[in-house]
Amino acid sequence: MGEPPPSATGTNVEGEAPLIEPTIETEEATITDDAELERTLGLPGGLSIGIGTMIGAGIFVFPGIAAGQAGPAASASFAIGAVVALLVALPTSELATAMPKSGGGYYFISRALGSLAGAVVGLSLWFGLVFATAFYLVGFGYYAVDTLAEVGVAVGEGPVIPIAVLAGAAFVVLNVTGTENAAKLQNGVVALLLSILVVFLTVGGLDAVGLIGEPATPERFAPFGPMRVFTTAALVFTSYLGFAQVATVAGEMKDPGRNLPLAMVGSVLVVGVLYVATIFVATSGLGSDTLGDLGETAMVEVGRHYLGPVGAFAIVFGGLLATMSSANASVLSTSRAIYAVSKDALLPRGATRINLRYGTPHVALGMAGGPILVLTATGRVELLAEVASFLHLLMYGLMCVALIVLRRDEPEWYDPDFRAPGYPVVPALGAIASFALIAFMQPGSRYVGAGIVVATAAWYVYYARDVDLKGAL
Amino acid sequence: MTRILVPLAILEGESVSAGLVDLLAPLDVVVLGYHEVPEQTPPDQARLQYEERATDALADVAAEFDGGGTAEYRLVFTHDREQTFERVAAEVGADAYAVPGATGPVDRLLVTLTGDVAVSRIVSFVATLVGDRDIGVTLFLATDDEPGGRELLERTAAPLADRGVDVGTELAVDEPPLEALLDAAVGHDAIVMGERAPSLLSLVFGETAERVAAESVGPVLVVRRVEDEEDEEGEEAEEDGEAEESEERGRDEDGNGPRGSDRPSPDQ
Repeated sequence: MGEPPPSATGTNVEGEAPLIEPTIETEEATITDDAELERTLGLPGGLSIGIGTMIGAGIFVFPGIAAGQAGPAASASFAIGAVVALLVALPTSELATAMPKSGGGYYFISRALGSLAGAVVGLSLWFGLVFATAFYLVGFGYYAVDTLAEVGVAVGEGPVIPIAVLAGAAFVVLNVTGTENAAKLQNGVVALLLSILVVFLTVGGLDAVGLIGEPATPERFAPFGPMRVFTTAALVFTSYLGFAQVATVAGEMKDPGRNLPLAMVGSVLVVGVLYVATIFVATSGLGSDTLGDLGETAMVEVGRHYLGPVGAFAIVFGGLLATMSSANASVLSTSRAIYAVSKDALLPRGATRINLRYGTPHVALGMAGGPILVLTATGRVELLAEVASFLHLLMYGLMCVALIVLRRDEPEWYDPDFRAPGYPVVPALGAIASFALIAFMQPGSRYVGAGIVVATAAWYVYYARDVDLKGAL
Repeated sequence: MTRILVPLAILEGESVSAGLVDLLAPLDVVVLGYHEVPEQTPPDQARLQYEERATDALADVAAEFDGGGTAEYRLVFTHDREQTFERVAAEVGADAYAVPGATGPVDRLLVTLTGDVAVSRIVSFVATLVGDRDIGVTLFLATDDEPGGRELLERTAAPLADRGVDVGTELAVDEPPLEALLDAAVGHDAIVMGERAPSLLSLVFGETAERVAAESVGPVLVVRRVEDEEDEEGEEAEEDGEAEESEERGRDEDGNGPRGSDRPSPDQ
């Protein structure tokens, strides 16, 4: 692995310059002038970050909403999302192995396309993760209420938002005071979720193709037309936001040249297949109208349909775990995004402070936690999901552009261990698909998303106009 | 030259006692300053804030070791200190590592041969450590097999006695090994033991060496395992693939290290 992009010049309003030091990346550590940074995440850890972040929303929150909007073709919407995610995951893998650093997408874009694009993406990623986390937390609230209902305490939908806000506050406090072994716990949660889903899909799949159980009445595949399939794809794309989180911990992953591509592409494939199969099974079991009426926790009824009370309980339990693990993984990624931007002097340096008592980045976690709680309190599931998708899709599209820019005029430091197949078609399609998906969103989400982008650009112009991060091209 | 790794939680103020500095004087010392950060903190973020402070503290400690052998230091920020110890130990080709503890001048060492450890490596390490200094050695063994244990102790004591070391033996039969070791540690200033394969027990109770160090208060020197011992001693648990990889790389980068040249590759 070669030297990182060498240049970074200029200072922000407070006179802070980007902190760029020459480093040597080995498979097991990053070596700076005076210190070494151990790489401690293996392939299972990377897969678990990717799958753990992604698996929550797609399976446990969206089936009802998506089936209501697109009918049985909701599974096609998920398939479109998976294809877009895969088109982006391949270029991202290449960039990540060339620059195995903390910061992920922000880092690649700022080095390839310059500070303005970098600042917009870095700050938007912060907000994108905040929106995504709020969305996961609201999903968690619905599942918590359903859990109460399953054990016989019917409380209605009133407490959903208070529970979600409380859970969000608990996550932030937990993350500030230190979550020892959270990663190991996360691996267990992901394994458990996968086994619940495999059992569910096996039974449901056998039923859906008519081998066991009652034959279901066939529905029209796309009752609302192809347009709705695409708008639904734009909505449910939030389900695929996890794979790029793997790149944000690239600096901590062992043997990044091998493990980063495997973890990113692998997690997209795993969850993509699971999503499509689950939606297929769900719409075959209950019918899309019923699913649409059931909303955020429709999967519980699907579980009950196939496996009785045990199935309902397994899905409720799975939903709680999955939304929790997605929310927690996103809180962590948010603080890493803030750190990466702050290190480059695009935010005040104070945002990187760590407290010595717990060793945690309390400032960054607070900057993640505050907005998360406010957004969770709005409870607007679809808006939260779409804005999160919008801001991520922008980053994904720009990452594909970054790859094309870097490949066209390869700078000396650019030496990826993994080269994405299909250049230039794959990254070009990835960029077009990412931007196109934005066009299918509801106007409200697009306005909020665009507003955030404009605000971040304005912040850059005000605060860090002189900072130049572009790696010598 | 025999090399020893001294890991110190440098930002938590962990340091080495004067007695340990004197004891390790004949060896090449690598002081490994580490700082373990929780998962939610990127190691680089901790480095940014604490590197300077840690480097200052480390340079001071390393300067204390500037006696007989060479002393160098490395600074690592990590999520997993045991992985760091293993990697750095393999890279520098360390024969042993020290768990620091409080001690005054070291007059007598307790060397435990209990368990599935490489006796010959431990003895040659002790011989180098003691050199011609006036340090006594007690060989300790806890076992259920009294005659076999006595024989092992005598066989092991002989070469040390030949070199003029004041060597004694102590055998504990049918006692809980750890308690017996801690009882025997009274009247000794430091303990030498062999590194063992990760066992269920050490997963549950923490690394044995650290337990011994915590309960005996004094320093513990742990002689590292190396690959070829597994072949000799047969049924030891296999180390996982990553550990083997790092061992191998360690040797590649340090080919002329003390045990580098004579060690066969694991897959040969």
